[in-house]
Amino acid sequence: MDKLTIAMPKGRIFEEAYELLLQAGFDLPAELDDSRKLIVEAPQEGFRFILSKPMDVPVYVEHGVADIGIAGKDVLLEQVRDVHELLDLKISRCYIATAGLPNTEMDEMTPRIATKYPEIASQFFRSRGEQVEIIELNGSIELAPMIGLAERIVDIVSTGKTLKENGLVEYDKIADITSRLIANPVSYRLKQQRIDELVKRLRK
Amino acid sequence: MLIEMFEKPLGMRDDFPSIVKRKSKLSAAGIKIMEQYGYEMLQTPSLEYYETIGKISAIADNQLFKLLDNQGQTLVLRPDMTSPIARVAASKLLKEKMPVRLGYYSNVFRAQLREGGRPAEFEQMGVELIGDESLYADAEVILLATEILRDLAIDSGRIVIGHTQLLQQVLRGYGLEEAMVEKLRAEMVAKNKVAYENLVDGLTIEAERKTSLKSIMNATRLEDWEPWIDQDDAIQLSLYGDMQRLKSILDRNGLEPYITYDLSFMSHMTYYTGMVFEVYGKGSGFPLGNGGRYDGLMKQFGLHVGATGFGLRVDRLLEAMPAEVQQTENALVLFNEDNEDLAHEKALELRQAGVNATLQFAPAVNALDEFSSLFSQVIRLDGGQNG
Repeated sequence: MDKLTIAMPKGRIFEEAYELLLQAGFDLPAELDDSRKLIVEAPQEGFRFILSKPMDVPVYVEHGVADIGIAGKDVLLEQVRDVHELLDLKISRCYIATAGLPNTEMDEMTPRIATKYPEIASQFFRSRGEQVEIIELNGSIELAPMIGLAERIVDIVSTGKTLKENGLVEYDKIADITSRLIANPVSYRLKQQRIDELVKRLRK
Repeated sequence: MLIEMFEKPLGMRDDFPSIVKRKSKLSAAGIKIMEQYGYEMLQTPSLEYYETIGKISAIADNQLFKLLDNQGQTLVLRPDMTSPIARVAASKLLKEKMPVRLGYYSNVFRAQLREGGRPAEFEQMGVELIGDESLYADAEVILLATEILRDLAIDSGRIVIGHTQLLQQVLRGYGLEEAMVEKLRAEMVAKNKVAYENLVDGLTIEAERKTSLKSIMNATRLEDWEPWIDQDDAIQLSLYGDMQRLKSILDRNGLEPYITYDLSFMSHMTYYTGMVFEVYGKGSGFPLGNGGRYDGLMKQFGLHVGATGFGLRVDRLLEAMPAEVQQTENALVLFNEDNEDLAHEKALELRQAGVNATLQFAPAVNALDEFSSLFSQVIRLDGGQNG
């Protein structure tokens, strides 16, 4: 049996995704995430897990070093990779939205937008015909409107708690986000039976 | 921008000797097979007009290298080979003797938008069979492509076949608006099953038809297509009949285990109108090549004839090919002022025996031992000892 290499996102999504695989009846080691290992084997099922940063999962899968992977739709929207999107796993549900200080208008000329998702943000404002300046940040996006760096942010919202605690309000919802099962186009064809079987079991 | 001394334009690469050697073997093998099938090799210019080839090529505009000639016309570095060959075939010279079989081994240029590591110039080889609308032409190009893969000893190759027009006909059969058909097709091109299923879920058609529409993206065998074929639709029946005959030809040639028939398979190349296929192999994470029938493209050059063909990416074939084990023998002949004539004789003798022989004036080399270690055989006529 050919080994199936699966890229898993470390952190928030990992627990839920792993639980999903266990529920689907796969014989996997009970603990995976707590080791510092980057590659973990599950020989009973012929799986090899690659533990990576969520943003890197589609990169591994597109290049074929991982056959399949679990990636957030936010990452897929941001990166536009050549991969098959096979299944909505319906976990890690959240959405992408614009937010800012309450009761503020955007600057008429070129409002500044701080975000971890420059592509999604740029596309959203372009689709509305608004010219904006995108400022790419790597974390603590909520800080930007509070210290006057940007008038709006584009970021993930799951409960809205972080926005509230920092005195921000949501303006426009851009897209719903869940985690997706993705596959490399070549692996999908060469190992289609195994991958389809996996999809079937996860669907239940 | 400051350009460092050793930098090259984005996506451009130097090919070192070991790669050049493998490439020339690969091209020789590929060209030989194409010629054996009766295809004549063709070369077209690197530069073409943006107005013609640039627009017809089906390569996204932002992937074209554009420049101006001295008359102010916009030119492109050729982004593919299919459209230039279609142009040649449509030109007067070849009109009289249809069908024509043309082959190529050429570099093409596609600007890279992200990740500088991807090549913006790469070689492609392939064929175009122009002026034959039959399924036998389609079968021929698939057989030829697989023959090349077999000759290169590419492991566990797989071919996925779809049919652009049949898919279009089937989707229309669901009574959907043309805009919706386009949306569904776009998701198939994007290989996005999730978005496709969501679109179908949102349709106002019977639940049963929804289920059948959804499962189009799951077919892997030609028999699986049967439920979607409308028995009262003459076009669908005839196209499906063609596919069945195509399959029986491919089966007879022993290809059955290597082919997936996926009705939802669509190419991002927009000029395909009929059968389309893509080729995969172990060792490369990207498709090795693709092809199909593109009757519409010929119309752009004013010729109403059918055409079919394929192109294989040489860089990806190299990845998928087994590594070479056999080392070629190479000899070094070192000489000095006194025995230059003897050295020439010795080298000639070696070359005639099929050994690559390098002649080197010994005093011009600083590190003789290191230099000598690059060769499988060292002949010292300069009076020194082998180190």
